[in-house]
Amino acid sequence: MKRSPLWNALLWFVLVMGTAAFVFPLWWMAVVSLETPERAEAAVTGSAGLSLVPPNPQFGNYAEAIRETGSTPWMGFVDALANSIVVTVLVVIGTVLSSSAVGYAFARLRFRGRTPVFLVMLGTMMLPGQVTMIPLFLLFREFGWIDSILPLVVPAFFGNAFFIFMYRQFIAQIPESLVEAARVDGLGHLAIWWRIILPLCRPVTAICAVFTFIGTWNDFLAPLIYLHSDESATLAVALNGFKNQYGGLEDVHLLMALSVLTMIPCIVLFIAAQKTFVEGLARGAVKG
Amino acid sequence: MATVKLTKVGKVYEGPQGSAVRAVEEVDLAIADGEFCVLVGPSGCGKSTTLRMIAGLEEISEGVLEIDGRKVNDVPAKDRDIAFVFQNYALYPHLTVAENIAFGLETRRTHRSALVAAVSGASGARADESARIRERVAEVSRTLGLDPLLARYPRELSGGQRQRVAVGRAIARDPKVFLFDEPLSNLDARLRIETRTELRMLHRRLAATIVYVTHDQEEAMTLADRLVVMHKGRVQQNASAQECYERPANRFVAGFIGTPPMNIVDGRAEAGVFTANGVGLPVAPSIGACPCAAGFRPDRVRLTAPNSTGSVAATVAAVERLGDRTDIALDSVWGRVIARLDADLAAHVREGDAVGFTFEATHAHFFEPGECGKRMN
Repeated sequence: MKRSPLWNALLWFVLVMGTAAFVFPLWWMAVVSLETPERAEAAVTGSAGLSLVPPNPQFGNYAEAIRETGSTPWMGFVDALANSIVVTVLVVIGTVLSSSAVGYAFARLRFRGRTPVFLVMLGTMMLPGQVTMIPLFLLFREFGWIDSILPLVVPAFFGNAFFIFMYRQFIAQIPESLVEAARVDGLGHLAIWWRIILPLCRPVTAICAVFTFIGTWNDFLAPLIYLHSDESATLAVALNGFKNQYGGLEDVHLLMALSVLTMIPCIVLFIAAQKTFVEGLARGAVKG
Repeated sequence: MATVKLTKVGKVYEGPQGSAVRAVEEVDLAIADGEFCVLVGPSGCGKSTTLRMIAGLEEISEGVLEIDGRKVNDVPAKDRDIAFVFQNYALYPHLTVAENIAFGLETRRTHRSALVAAVSGASGARADESARIRERVAEVSRTLGLDPLLARYPRELSGGQRQRVAVGRAIARDPKVFLFDEPLSNLDARLRIETRTELRMLHRRLAATIVYVTHDQEEAMTLADRLVVMHKGRVQQNASAQECYERPANRFVAGFIGTPPMNIVDGRAEAGVFTANGVGLPVAPSIGACPCAAGFRPDRVRLTAPNSTGSVAATVAAVERLGDRTDIALDSVWGRVIARLDADLAAHVREGDAVGFTFEATHAHFFEPGECGKRMN
């Protein structure tokens, strides 16, 4: 189909504007992270504009940001990074394992009350996180889990309603005969899930892992609520340390530098998983 | 290898509003060691359910199932020592051909070798087992000509190749009983006939006990040592293929076995004459005076001149020339009757011709009235 030049121009205009709207915050962040403190602050307060490319890029900002993270120079950053990695990896593993196992049960096991239980589980998706925040905090405090990673990690091992739903839909499409063949071959349900179902769920697992990774890595609220000491803070919480207690932003260039660093793993992961990921998103759109 | 025995086996499903749906009723079946038994019937007749009960994929609601003399009603599928070949092959998509064939052996090994290691503490046992499995996979792939495909994934195979891998996976384990659920129905016609022959040869070589389900009566007849015709959850006839063809036990079997199907006409027999819609033909006098249905195979129909005495007048509705023979559909007061003639005898027959027909009285079958009316002669 051949489009008229006017239509093409319009299309390009919309696409370019849309892209610009999405790229602008990232560009702003990157530019501010490379500016001098004065120019960065001016940009934030609006007293001066930003240049497209910093005239005098301050790469030292990054080293300084790393050094200034947390209360101990250098080690504060290492601690926060380690905490973020540990929490994120555990949450991803927990979410994938528990959601796929529960999804398998909902898709393939026949048990009394399967449908009502599934509906209740779906219903929990409608519950805003803020509603359960205080009861959960009180519960975890009773357990003595405050200032440990347990309140962040343990719930992940009890499944995530949305991913359970995704796994269930995907597993329901896997031919029943594969499960039956595995039964005849001598596998129990646990082994069928691990050796047959999980490997076949790769596209869903990629989505589940990437979304969970990004969500957990960037999560600010939960670590802020449960992790109180500097040593146990994650990167997202550590970023907050660059604000003073009144919300002032005198070190905004350092905040942006650390923000850029924090974003890198998400971008790398997304690019690495993109192929499987897109396959997963497109799955179900077309049969076969 | 082993025997399989079903005694009054039934399957009841829970239907809507708590009603009971009987999919299989009172199936009695004794399959001998090394026998090729084919369950055949139209879709929904309960043949697949019966097979799945033997496999342990469906619970048995009633009756007793024995494999090798041992009651296995409550034994899980994995402990029945059976192999199941599925209609859609059910190959594990994420494993190569070699891994698919080895899969059943591996899972069994993990149970056994864990035990061996616990008892003897020997680590060599595991390596021995691995070597044995590799050897077995090589042996099976040689038998089925799968050698060049071992490293491929199922998605890279054609339908026929997948089917062979599915068979390979079944024979690798050397099970007591092989169960096949319509394994050829996804293949094209030509490949189906080739594979049929291969299966028959494989059966002879393995001397295996096989229970095979199909809805294709031709496939059933060519493969079966024993043919079990099922309809509405019940066994209609359990005999050799030849006997099912020559002496069908009831009207259903008569109509189901044979292509084209037997002509069956409802009427009345009296004093050596079978009459339907006012037109009669002589038959053997053994049938007493009663309403009944007469059945005669298309190749026992003879064409005559129109209005000749002792024949039924008919019009040629369709002529299907098949090379060496010709099928002719005749419309008459007896309804639609199919005649199968040698091609040269039918060379002059044209659609619309007025003809007469009769049938060979000695080869006629008589059944009681009703869909599954019993054989009377």
